[in-house]
Amino acid sequence: MADLLFTEFLKLKRSSMFLISLLGSAVAPFVVVIATFIHEPATPFQDLFYNVNLYTVLIIGVPLYGVVTTYLFNREYTENTLKNLLTIPVSRVSFIISKTLLLFLWIMMLSIIAWGLTLFLGMLTQFDGLSSSLLLDSLKQFSTGGILLFVLSTPIILVTLVTKNYVPTIIFTVVITLINVMAGNSEHRGLFPWAAAGDISNQTLPPTYPVEYSYIIIATTALIGFISMFVYFKKTDIH
Amino acid sequence: MFQISEIIKTTNLTKVYGQQKSVDHLNITVNQGEIYGFLGRNGAGKTTTIRMLLGLIKPTSGQIELFGENLFKNHKGILRRIGSMVEVPGFYENLTARENLLINAKIIGVHKKNAIEEALEIVDLHHETKKLVGKYSLGMKQRLGIARALLHYPELLILDEPTNGLDPIGIKEMRNLIQSLAKERNITIFVSSHILSEIEQLADHMGIIHEGKLLEEIAFESLRKRNRKYLEFQVSNDNKAAMLLESHFGISDYEVHDEGNIRVYSHLGSQGKLNKVFVENDIDVLKIKVSEDNLEDYFAKLVGGGAIG
Repeated sequence: MADLLFTEFLKLKRSSMFLISLLGSAVAPFVVVIATFIHEPATPFQDLFYNVNLYTVLIIGVPLYGVVTTYLFNREYTENTLKNLLTIPVSRVSFIISKTLLLFLWIMMLSIIAWGLTLFLGMLTQFDGLSSSLLLDSLKQFSTGGILLFVLSTPIILVTLVTKNYVPTIIFTVVITLINVMAGNSEHRGLFPWAAAGDISNQTLPPTYPVEYSYIIIATTALIGFISMFVYFKKTDIH
Repeated sequence: MFQISEIIKTTNLTKVYGQQKSVDHLNITVNQGEIYGFLGRNGAGKTTTIRMLLGLIKPTSGQIELFGENLFKNHKGILRRIGSMVEVPGFYENLTARENLLINAKIIGVHKKNAIEEALEIVDLHHETKKLVGKYSLGMKQRLGIARALLHYPELLILDEPTNGLDPIGIKEMRNLIQSLAKERNITIFVSSHILSEIEQLADHMGIIHEGKLLEEIAFESLRKRNRKYLEFQVSNDNKAAMLLESHFGISDYEVHDEGNIRVYSHLGSQGKLNKVFVENDIDVLKIKVSEDNLEDYFAKLVGGGAIG
């Protein structure tokens, strides 16, 4: 598995998608920190982290990580390399696991970059209220958001494997984002897995339903996606 | 007694898509050390067969044995003994040839230090150190595909249309490369093509597939013999006619078939002289025929008209 993971990293060498994803992860910190600096410079540092994490998980994260997910899986189809890998042979299970592992590391790296940029830009623009406990808490929030979005990437992987195309995945992630936005003020948003992920990471779940409901919905969505993608990929013919 | 082992053996291999049988009860046998040409028109079922041999698609029914083992019982172990190139080989275009091969070497576990360099040298790509594969021509990609297939010293090479899209020089180079691999490395090679002349120049055995069915499996030597040009005489006394051919004309390249049928494979165009000698020696000549079949006619007849392609 270590060798397989090494090759996954090697495939990213000179990859423009890597740089694009870095730029994507920088959008929320830049927009939030600069806009806050211009309009409400007295905002405490804590709110900066909260807002950046909110935008990252609910608005930018789903399509950005969706594109990363599609790139990782779909390129083996578009670059016609999957049949080489499977005839080496790489087992289909190992293939999925190594890709998923890299996806996890990639999403976590982007989450940490968003956190780091918020910190850097917030310090640069001299917002008040930075403390070591805030640093730790916010890092935990960004990491939780990243982990939950990774867990919820399994349905997106499934869409990629089935359609073998960027377009359906982008549409899928845009629909998720739209629902996130529409559910923003709803007391039932804890029932929508991606919106619940944002609330869990920022500890803002509405009290309408027990917290366990949100966790169960997220876990069920992830598990259904996970099992479906495994079963589909194990059984599908490679053309 | 020395026994040639069967490297590939399919039994009633079938693949059905909806109502259409893409491969229909295919029985092929490839023996060790052979270059086996798998010939068929586009859409005949060649690539589907190859994908089944490599475990990329699952057969609807039938068996695949590779190296005497059931493919589906030891999938991983068997595939490690095979190098393959299915249609146009795919590469990570943002990487160099070496980096692409390193991916395979790492996954397979090729520990020999210069294995990548050696594979690139075989296909003459070892000088392209910095060029990204995205900038390679189709011919270079095909050669790199062969290098990748050879990286782990396979015993069997499965190549699907390796000359597709290549220019005449590229085709010749690819042919020479495949032949030298078979000769120097003693690799069994299964190569598909829709071009008859390609298979004819490359392979020593051939299977012809048409509409998913195997029409014929034959050694080229037998086929050439069967399709050689000849003069055919139907005579009243074939023994006497044969003696005359040898004593009068010094002809030894002939065959006596049933019912006074003699085929003469030399002296084509001398049917008049031969006929005269037969008649002068009281042999009744009932029929003279000049065969004009060549390999292409043979294939056209076999697949029901038209050329392969």
